[in-house]
Amino acid sequence: MNWIELIIKIIIWPPLWQLIVLGLIVPLVVVIGILWFERKTAARVQRRFGPLHVSPQLGGALQLIADLMRYAFQEVIIPKTVDKGVFLLAPLTALVLSIVPLVAVPFTSVARWWPIPMDYSVLISLALSTVSAIFIVLASWASNNKFSIIGGMRESYMITAYEIAIIISILSTAAMTLSYNFVDVVNAQEGWKWFAVLNPLAFLAAFIGVLMATSGFPFEIPESENEVVAGPYTEYSGLLYGVNMGAAYIKRFVYSVLITLAFFGGWLPYHPGTGFLSGYLYPSIIVVVKATILMAIFSFLRAVYGRYRLDQALDFAWKILFPLALFGLGLGILEAYLGLI
Amino acid sequence: MPPKPVPKTKPKRGIFHKFKGNLEAIIVGVKYFFDPERFTLVYPKEYTKLREGYRGFIVLIKDKCIHCASCARICPASAMKMIRIPQKDPKTGKTKMVMWPVINYQRCIFCGMCVDVCPTEALYHVPYHDVVYENLAEMDIDLESFTKPPEYKTAKEGIPVRYVIDEEKGLVKVPYKEGEEK
Repeated sequence: MNWIELIIKIIIWPPLWQLIVLGLIVPLVVVIGILWFERKTAARVQRRFGPLHVSPQLGGALQLIADLMRYAFQEVIIPKTVDKGVFLLAPLTALVLSIVPLVAVPFTSVARWWPIPMDYSVLISLALSTVSAIFIVLASWASNNKFSIIGGMRESYMITAYEIAIIISILSTAAMTLSYNFVDVVNAQEGWKWFAVLNPLAFLAAFIGVLMATSGFPFEIPESENEVVAGPYTEYSGLLYGVNMGAAYIKRFVYSVLITLAFFGGWLPYHPGTGFLSGYLYPSIIVVVKATILMAIFSFLRAVYGRYRLDQALDFAWKILFPLALFGLGLGILEAYLGLI
Repeated sequence: MPPKPVPKTKPKRGIFHKFKGNLEAIIVGVKYFFDPERFTLVYPKEYTKLREGYRGFIVLIKDKCIHCASCARICPASAMKMIRIPQKDPKTGKTKMVMWPVINYQRCIFCGMCVDVCPTEALYHVPYHDVVYENLAEMDIDLESFTKPPEYKTAKEGIPVRYVIDEEKGLVKVPYKEGEEK
């Protein structure tokens, strides 16, 4: 019995719970569901069926498992011309670094179940969330392929465009609550005063920024299939390509969690208790469900939009999105000054 | 005198034009998401019921043929050919060579000119096209099988459907009922 208790104790240790269970296992399950949803939604909107023949009763859901198996067992081809060490390390580093922001994200208001003290968690998680994109550029550089390098350059243009908008718009919630603590930000949204309603400008800026950050569909510019083969991931095959895609989707999941906490009240209709179940598991589930719904909305947009050109996207980012984020910040400060929060 | 060039006028766009366009696109997407009108043909389970006069595979009625070779002459793809087959004349009892048309479906473009040109209406179209051949040589039809409609299996197992153009929804797939208009 001691062994089982020890294992449970290790699993519910907050850093491990948040980085491995909530950061790796839950996103894997969520991503399979979201990919299925994405394909079926695009098919519904475009009046097709989508994946169907593999398991007609489940709506073709097993197709995704089959695709996963294909990526897992395909041969990993490493071309002679690549910089081998960087080529292998870059996707893995990007995967790990895309999970890391979750360490500074509180999934509950009980101090016992935080991985680190949460006094500056908004700043820390936003700072950590921007690191992994550098390794995508690095992977494209190490690939030594013209399509990869074009994709990497596009990615680097996009990073500079979206990062400021996301950071300013999420920091506007810090300005509204006069605190860098995510727990304070969530607790300020008590009583359905969600910041997405109170400050829609900042929410819209953050939403579009996350779409750009994760190559969501109107801004799927670095990986656009019909221009540059797969962008930074052109030379990758098999499991390494899967790791790249996984990193992109985990990044989207992490950003969704950040937006959920900042704008959708986190765990809020529920008040965490002190034990593991009531204090940690249930709030985590609520946050994950909200983030999943947000991801579903992201993937719904794929069905509606075509792709912007790079110059159009940058134009949009600097001329509309950045001022929008600034207006959101101003609106947040104004609301805090008027005492609406 | 050349026509005067008309300057292109851009439609007037307000401040919220882009926002409105995005919103409209999303609303259309949501509408289709909740009420999808799929027109994918799930082929073995469904097949399109073809209209009368559909130009499918061609069959010869041997009794009506007068061996005139008009069909072979008009064929634009040289798919139809006349072959000579020895045959006994019932009146005189002599054996003589008689010409019969045969068709090669590797070349046929299903234009239907042979059916139109036939003076005795000895050729007709069957109203289906989903026939499977195992190799190319099989598609070169001999006289014996040219007189019978080709066999087909897959389409018989499904539900017949038909595509109609709806006033509101555009192209719509509806199940076909027996005895409907032609």
